[in-house]
Amino acid sequence: MTIASILIALRSLAIAVAIWWIVVLVANVPAYLLPAPDAIASRFVFLAQTAELTKHIRVTLGEIGAGFILGGFLGVAFGWLFVRVPLLGRLLSPLILVLQTAPKIAIAPLLLLWLGLDMGPKITLIAIVTFFPVMAGAAAGFAAVERPYQDLGTLLHLNAWQRFRRIELPFSLPPIFAGLRIASTQAVTAAVIGELMGATYGLGYLLSLGQENGDASVVIVAILVLSTIGWGFHELIRAGERHILSWHASQIGLEARV
Amino acid sequence: MQDALPPKLVCKGLNVSVRQELSRLWPRPLGANRRMITIRGVHKDFSIDGAKVTALSPTDLDVRRGEFVSIIGPSGCGKSTLLRILAGLETASGGSIDVDDGDRARQRVGFVFQEPVLLPWLSALENVRFPLDTARVARTEADSRALDLLKLVGLTGFEAALPRALSGGMRQRVSIARALSYDPSLLLMDEPFGALDLITRDRLNDELLSIWSQTKKTILFVTHSVEEAAYLSDRVVVMSPRPGRIKTVYDVNLPRPRGERTKLDPAFHQLMADLRRDLQ
Ligand SMILES: Nc1ncnc2c1ncn2[C@@H]1O[C@H](COP(=O)(O)OP(=O)(O)OP(=O)(O)O)[C@@H](O)[C@H]1O
Ligand SMILES: [Mg+2]
Repeated sequence: MTIASILIALRSLAIAVAIWWIVVLVANVPAYLLPAPDAIASRFVFLAQTAELTKHIRVTLGEIGAGFILGGFLGVAFGWLFVRVPLLGRLLSPLILVLQTAPKIAIAPLLLLWLGLDMGPKITLIAIVTFFPVMAGAAAGFAAVERPYQDLGTLLHLNAWQRFRRIELPFSLPPIFAGLRIASTQAVTAAVIGELMGATYGLGYLLSLGQENGDASVVIVAILVLSTIGWGFHELIRAGERHILSWHASQIGLEARV
Repeated sequence: MQDALPPKLVCKGLNVSVRQELSRLWPRPLGANRRMITIRGVHKDFSIDGAKVTALSPTDLDVRRGEFVSIIGPSGCGKSTLLRILAGLETASGGSIDVDDGDRARQRVGFVFQEPVLLPWLSALENVRFPLDTARVARTEADSRALDLLKLVGLTGFEAALPRALSGGMRQRVSIARALSYDPSLLLMDEPFGALDLITRDRLNDELLSIWSQTKKTILFVTHSVEEAAYLSDRVVVMSPRPGRIKTVYDVNLPRPRGERTKLDPAFHQLMADLRRDLQ
């Protein structure tokens, strides 16, 4: 991202806020439906000062981080297993297909029943939605490691870990990163859903709190913070991808631009 | 009685015992003409959808230590299969292979594929060093060996370049340097220059010969080019079409070192003509 692109983004944002403000003033929209931007800003400052907002953010970020790492790790591990042990893939693929086609969000109530109202069920849900795209990407990547490269591992007497770490994993990183990028947006959604259904902290909980109290400004603050988190998370993964995959054809050109 | 012994005989006896002593100290003096690979009745069948495909009919071949042997034959006759069996990448369906590799048991053989098979995220230096890194050779030693090899293949100055920044010929030279990095006594090359243009190919052939004479390796070299086979080899093995088997083995008596003069030698052209006829 260059300074210029940030400036362009800021300009569009400023225009959107201005339009919002004008609409609220001109059409005389009641504040309980759509507050003016200054009301949102003061609400944001108030929530930030009481330290409640930072706690909500920290809880949600913690859930996303833990669930994402867990799901990503398991996705890579199972992607590898399914390719290396085809029998396992054949046995588990019907089950996986069922799980994958079921709306993962529908599992949330069950997880809350089983794991309580704490961070556990949210982390689990995030791990589940992260798992599938990462697993699919990893399996595609591992399956595509060409025969001569496997032969190279055999010729050099590499053990299974060395093959994985030195040859198979680096080759599979591009599709794994594609999976991680898809997962990054789904992870934020999963965190919110989990928290909406039952929580004591988190931005999703803040959303439901605002709804219950009929306070649209709290809801909007939560939405803004959540989309910032989603965007930042996605950018973080893009940056990691650019850094790690600088050798890969998909990154050439991007490299030059950044 | 001792005086009665003819002096000549004493002398001869002494000679014999000295020779025995020498051969005890150096069991195989100079290593020359010593057999390194003994292939007996090796064959390979693949099954494709239940149908048996014979890739290689029972094959016998001996290769001496330090010898440069080329294998030539029509496509699909089992050249790669033979090389892959030797490298342990494929198991033979039968027969025996004995590779006498000195005391270094479980030695890794050097193998150069038709494609460079470089790891695209590693620099030229790191690719050459890869076999050493995975064998836990100390970094400084691995680095100095890799640098020497890059110099040997004429790539000094390209240590930090990623494979994608190298030309096809340069990549293939990196791959040769990588195969030499762990100092295998046996180097198997499967059409290593097949994808290159003729000029690059000629240059790499000369480089290969100079590497071979410097490192004293045993080389088995698969090619489709009769010229390449005749130019490089001590012997050329001609294989017949499927199911592949060895048809003829030619001794190449062209003087070494080979060079531009070899290519003007009538014997060179006679050999190429013979090979070409044999291939038809
Ligand atoms: N993995 C495999 N599975 C089934 N059949 C194979 C396999 N590898 C080789 N073959 C068959 O074995 C035969 C010999 O193949 P091989 O690759 O050794 O030929 P080649 O002499 O190296 O040919 P080329 O000059 O085209 O490289 C071919 O008919 C091929 O179809
Ligand atoms: Mg071949």
